[in-house]
Order: sequence, then C-alpha cells, then structure tokens
Amino acid sequence: MRTDATLTINSEAKSDSNRLPRRLLMLSLLLLASAGLSLCLGSFPTPPLQVLNALAAPKSSDIAFIIWELRLPRITLAILVGAALAIAGAILQSIVRNPLASPDVIGITSGAALAAVVFLSLLSSTLSIHWLPVAAMLGALVSALLVVSLAWKNGISPSRMVLVGIGLAAAMGAGTTLLIVISDDSAAMTAYVWLTGSLYAAQWDDVWGLLPWLVVAVPISLLFARHADAMALGDSVAEGLGVAILRSRLVLLACSVALAGAAVAFAGGLSFVGLIAPHLAAKLVGRNMAHLVPTSALVGALIVLYADLLGRVAFLPKDLPAGIFVAGIGAPFFVYLLHRSRARF
Amino acid sequence: MSVLLLTQAALMPLTAAANTPSSPPESPHIVTLYQGATDSAVALGLMPIGVVDSWLEKPMYRYLRDALDSVEHVGLETQPNLEKIAWLDPDLVIASDFRHARIAPLLNAIAPTVSAPTVFNFKTTLTMVANATGREAQANELLEQWDDRVADFRQQIAAKLSSEWPQKVAVVRFKSDHVRIYTSGFAGAILDELGFAQPETLQSQSWGMKLSSTENIPMLDADALFILLEPDDPAIADNYQHWASHPLWQQLSAVQSGRVFEVDPVSWMMGGGILAANAMLDDLYSHYGLLQPEAAAHQACLPHAGGRGEPTSC
Repeated sequence: MRTDATLTINSEAKSDSNRLPRRLLMLSLLLLASAGLSLCLGSFPTPPLQVLNALAAPKSSDIAFIIWELRLPRITLAILVGAALAIAGAILQSIVRNPLASPDVIGITSGAALAAVVFLSLLSSTLSIHWLPVAAMLGALVSALLVVSLAWKNGISPSRMVLVGIGLAAAMGAGTTLLIVISDDSAAMTAYVWLTGSLYAAQWDDVWGLLPWLVVAVPISLLFARHADAMALGDSVAEGLGVAILRSRLVLLACSVALAGAAVAFAGGLSFVGLIAPHLAAKLVGRNMAHLVPTSALVGALIVLYADLLGRVAFLPKDLPAGIFVAGIGAPFFVYLLHRSRARF
Repeated sequence: MSVLLLTQAALMPLTAAANTPSSPPESPHIVTLYQGATDSAVALGLMPIGVVDSWLEKPMYRYLRDALDSVEHVGLETQPNLEKIAWLDPDLVIASDFRHARIAPLLNAIAPTVSAPTVFNFKTTLTMVANATGREAQANELLEQWDDRVADFRQQIAAKLSSEWPQKVAVVRFKSDHVRIYTSGFAGAILDELGFAQPETLQSQSWGMKLSSTENIPMLDADALFILLEPDDPAIADNYQHWASHPLWQQLSAVQSGRVFEVDPVSWMMGGGILAANAMLDDLYSHYGLLQPEAAAHQACLPHAGGRGEPTSC
C-alpha cells in the first residue's frame, strides 16, 4: 500500500529525481569552493597555497591561528547553521502546507529570541554567557510546545498551528521589545546584535555543540520524508495512504524545532534562511521531501556562508553580523513570495 | 609569505611610533577594545596600536584624535575584528567581561588579555590598564589629582549653593524619538561622587528610564538637568526643541531656575575614561560658575566647554 502511494507521488517528480545527483554534486562543489574562497579572505587576503600549508602543517605556518581558530570554525558553523535552518524550514513548510511558513514565522525563533533577551538583560550578571545557547534552545522548545498545545484540537491541524504560531510569535516579539526597552543601553545593544544573527567569533565548541543536533535530526527527517510527501496532499489522502498523521507530524515538527532551535542558539536570530532556502531548493529539485532536505541544506549553507563572508570582509575593519546580509537577500524574496501567493488565493 | 611581509611592512610605522622617546622604553603594544580603555591608555601616555571605533564622532572622539593619530582601527566595540587584532600581534589586549566574555578564549590565544567587569567604571579601567602596563605611579597620580578636584568641587559648590545643596539632578539624553534618563553608569557614578542627589521619581530605577511621550515630562522635575545632544544628528535637536517648547517643560523647576545645561555626550557618557571624567568635571565647574584652582596638567589636551572642535595644543 505504502510503496504504491510513494510511487504515485514520486511519478510526478520523476524528472526531478534524475537530475538530483547532478544538482547535489554541483551544489556541494560550489559550497566547497565557496568555503575555500572564504578561507582565503579576511582582514588581509591570504594566498590559497599559504592557506593549504596552514591547514596541512599548522606547526610551521604563521597564519595557523587565523586559519584554524578564526576562519575555519566560523565557516564550518556558518555551513551547519545554514543547513539546519534550511532543513527546519523545508520540513515546516511541508507539514503545515504553507509556503510562507518558516521557523521565524511560527514562533520557534521568537521563543529562542525571547529567552536569549531575558538571559542577556536579566541573568547575564549572574550566569556566564556560555549558557546563552542553552537558554535560547530552551526558549525554542517551550514556544514549540506552547504552539502545539494551544493548537491542539483532536490532533494538530496545520492551519491552526500556523495561526497560533503567528500569534505567539507576535506576543513573544512584544515581550522581547519590552525587555529591550527597559534594559540598559549596553544590554540592549548586545541583544540587538544577537537578534540580528551573527557568526562572529564562532569557536570549535560551538561547532561541536550544533553538530549532534544535525546528526540526529537529519536522518530522522529523511526517514519520515515520504510521510511528509503524503501529508502534503492533505490529511485525508495521507490517512488513506496509511500514514499515522499525528505521529509523523509530531516527529517531523520535533526535528524542525530541534534544528531551528540549535541553529538559533549558536548564531542568534538569523531570519529568512529557513524561508528562502527551501524555495530556492524546490526550484532546483522539486518538492519531494527526500530531495528537498539535502538540497535545501546546501542552499541554506551557501546563503549563510556568503552572508557571513560579506559581514567579515565587505566593511573592513568592521566585522558585521551576518544577519544583516541574509535579510538583505531575504526581504525582497519574501515580498515576491507574498505577491505570488496572493495571486493564487 | 609575501603578503605577510607586506603586512609587517605596513605595520612598521606604527611600531616605530609606539617607540618614540616620549614614551617610556617598556611601552607595550596594546589593543584597547572599549572606549574607556582607549581613554585610559591615552591618559597614561600609552599609544595603543589598535582601538575600536567610537560611538559618536566616528571613527574616533575628537578629544582623542590628536593622541591617536596613526592608530589602526579594529572594528566595533560589540564585535571587534579578531583577525585584525591577530595581525597586529599585540603584547596586551584590554577588554571588558561585559562585551567580550564570549571571545575571551580567542583573545587570550592572540595575546595576554586583561578584562574589566563593566565598561563604565573609569577608575577600575585606569587601574587595570596601569597595572597591566607597569604604570601604577602615573595612575595613582591621576587618581589623586581627581580626588583633589572632587574635594575642591564639593567644598566650593556647598559654599556657593548653601541651602540649595545637594542639588537633585538628572542626566537626560535626547534621541530622535525618545528620551532617556540615566541614573547610574559613568555620569551617574561621578555625580554621586561629587555629592549630587537624584529626584525621588528616579531613585527606584536600576539604570534609568526611557520616556517616549511629553506627558512624562514631570518625571524630570529636578534642580538641574544635564542635556545630552548629538551635534551630528539634526533629528535629535528637533526632538529636543519639541520637548523644550512643551508647556509642561516650562513648569520644571530646573527650567525656571535656569539650570538646564547642554553638555557633551562624549565627555558625559561615551568617553568612559579619566580624561572624559575630567572634562565632565570641567563642565560642572563652568556651569555652576565655580573657579578651578589651577589648570591641572591633564586638562591641557582636553577641549573645554564651548571650545569643542577647536584644535588644542598639547
């Protein structure tokens, strides 16, 4: 039964699956080349040979610290954050069947942001700043639980979840603004930088903190990719195809929350990546989840990598938050999507 | 390799400048990562090789420009460019826990780093910079001069104002769409040390408060108001005009007694070091019509009230 269903769903995307390996290979090569380029650029550009030397033999290189401790962890984290946000967005858009859904629209990011600002303005004098990612992660989790429980009505209907999520996001956004207004200037400034989203001063500990979430959540979301495809046709169709809707939806939602929450915990409120990366990926390989997940991941990684590269080198000696540039790409795209979906309704 | 050599060549003049005979031979190459640290370094006769951008009068406050003629900039105080700092290869980095706790491991890997808990306590900053660079004697001298000036000010103002002392004052910063009252921080601590008091309405506030409506003007009822404007931003001057022409503003006791003083936000808030503190004290002397005992040596480099922007000879 289920195999039949999958076949039917996949048949419309047959041409997509043929071009998938080539597209993935191309994107991977592009990402590798971009990472290489990024590794060579900084306050002073370093020639590729010297960078390779520093990578291969750090002991004998003058720039080993700059390559290994400043540029490489930051580039790695940018790639992981971009991938995590993009996958989270792809999953979410599919389970709520709304092309405008993303972790920042339905409250996951806002929950993390509120928790981070609470931490920065109220707790930062008593707790070490290293607890900030934990606080943000908890915020994402709590807000996701709130969205699910408030939207619960004999299961979760996607449209209820989006509405509740948007409402909750607005309420938490108001809480965030209120806290910034009543906190002193320096805490407010730190909070603003965090809310913009930044990969500044990424360290290997951050990479090791984020990686496990991806290692766990990505395979699970791939396992449930077929269920997502079935649910994209509507709950009754998916049910008819033998999908345990509630369980699949909760598992996928949990993956999305874990990925978005972890990414936001280490990079701050980077918005729009979760929204645009899946759409760009869908243009390349279609809406089939099993294809969309790896492709979105690569596209998201590229977006964040370039946004951070711009922040690092475009306004030297200033080192600007990557979020500024992600939003610069994201905002016009968001308007374009709104415009298109308006035509459809 | 050639790039590295070029970089070193580009940095050579800096190295030379830092070793001019005027500074003691042990003068280390330091990078300062917050405004108060830069101010303190200059006060101690150090020439940093790298500083962060200032908040106003970018890229560097006018009162420090002459002293920091050829210095390298390492970006913003909130996100200093670590790679640039690493290229500068300093002997010492001066940071603050508040801003830089997260990057402390990287800073320590670049160079020995000292860090102050906050950014606005100018005495802590001065002592910390002095201890880390072996200039304790200079710092003590600066702090003694400061204490003498504070004692003199307190004595003079108490005599002059008699029953009107201690004055209840508020530091009011105008932004383009709202107003902030500061009760603590740099200016708050100095006013407190000088013996000024706060209006009751503000005493419960931890750092101060933000007002966005002219309805709240009565919150500002104090014996004197110190108004912080930003000369580079006309929208702020407009907002000040808007508030100052309001009928409620005219009823404030500070307005009626003519004690509303426009002061420089750089010396009253942003500078954050002992040079700025002394400039703030100069302002207070002149606004209250008090005579300064004798011009202390450190003031020679400072722009005095009304003379801002004029070149000063040091």
